[in-house]
Amino acid sequence: MQAMLNPMSRGPTVAAMALVLLLTGVSAPASWAHHSQSEFDSKLVVEVEGKVTQLDWRSPHARLYVDVVGENGEVVNWNFELPSPVTLMRRGWKRDSLKPGDHVKVKGARARNFPTIAYANAIRDANGNPLFTGVTHIYEPESDAAGSKSP
Amino acid sequence: MRRRRFLVLGLLVLGGSPSAVLSQWLGYPTPGIPRTASGAPNMKAPAPRMRGGKPDFSGIWFANVPAKDYCKEKDCVQEERMAREQINLGIKLKEGLPYTEWSKEQMVKRRAKGGRDDPHTYCMPPNYPRAWTLPQHTKIVQTPQEMVMLHEFNAAYREVYLDGRPLPQNPNPTWNGYSTGHWEGDTLVIETNGIRDDMWLDIQGSPITESAHLTERLKRINFGLLRVEIDVNDPKAYTRPWSVTIEMALQVDTQMLEEICLDNEQDVKLYQ
Repeated sequence: MQAMLNPMSRGPTVAAMALVLLLTGVSAPASWAHHSQSEFDSKLVVEVEGKVTQLDWRSPHARLYVDVVGENGEVVNWNFELPSPVTLMRRGWKRDSLKPGDHVKVKGARARNFPTIAYANAIRDANGNPLFTGVTHIYEPESDAAGSKSP
Repeated sequence: MRRRRFLVLGLLVLGGSPSAVLSQWLGYPTPGIPRTASGAPNMKAPAPRMRGGKPDFSGIWFANVPAKDYCKEKDCVQEERMAREQINLGIKLKEGLPYTEWSKEQMVKRRAKGGRDDPHTYCMPPNYPRAWTLPQHTKIVQTPQEMVMLHEFNAAYREVYLDGRPLPQNPNPTWNGYSTGHWEGDTLVIETNGIRDDMWLDIQGSPITESAHLTERLKRINFGLLRVEIDVNDPKAYTRPWSVTIEMALQVDTQMLEEICLDNEQDVKLYQ
């Protein structure tokens, strides 16, 4: 398993290590598919990179599993929560948009009580290009209701 | 094969992206709808009507949340279009929802627990009127005698009878209650009773109870816009009747997508 993993591109202090930062002022996630996400702590910021082991494309949330090599060489399989497959499909994503072996960098927020489960805010490829950035295409009607947002 | 040829042709005409082509019928042109010269749906066209002249609400609907408010940054995995009323159905009311002492206590307790007790967290069915604000789509199928609302979440349904029958007396309470509709001009007025005693109206846990009489006034403003006025008269949960209005936008060139919540639910354990 370890042989599959590329060395981390970052410096040794963060290489192949889940970086959990205690930050303040991080806004709450906007996502809500079937729960409020209060089980995650937006202050427990996670940044890891490693190899995709599975993109689990089932409701209510797609899940991205990533093998991350720790400082001592141990491999930890992270479980990242994504929006629902329905939401992702409407952005043009498919169940095989990420494949086992793909190198990804993931940033998210960790579950309060589970050290290797997090929701993903940002997923980038090995070159740092953002993934999962599509916007659902809709045709917007005109609104004439007082107090509502205008397109 | 014939369908595939048509699909490819349609996407070439509309300039659809390959990623949309490959996901079922996402991007497949909705047939029989008004379009502009460029081929784009004409959302400002007049509302369609049934053979008898009444407005036809049929179509796929989702809360009218502008796309430009959504996914502003490059890294936006978790950004979703979301009606603000999803969190608090009374968010646009100056003084908020007129909770009774009991229901205020319920809501505050539920909100403090961060959704841990929310039936939706446990993959329970979508319940109207909350279902209008959920991040899944509603499909309305209308006949002269009945309107059916299909909801993506758990592939659920709701029936609204338009055949003149009265609301049931002392019905067995259910998630969506029992609904009948009548016309006031071009507005369809849906009356509902028989809602369960422990239903939530929003994420923060505003209650709706068995004592509720729910009225929804549906008006199709034009082809692309549906206005839903939600009137709640629930003396157990609220000190007076109240009303909020939400807007739904027609979703075209797309399809309903099944979202079975219990398929791979993994969040409940995280609350422990």
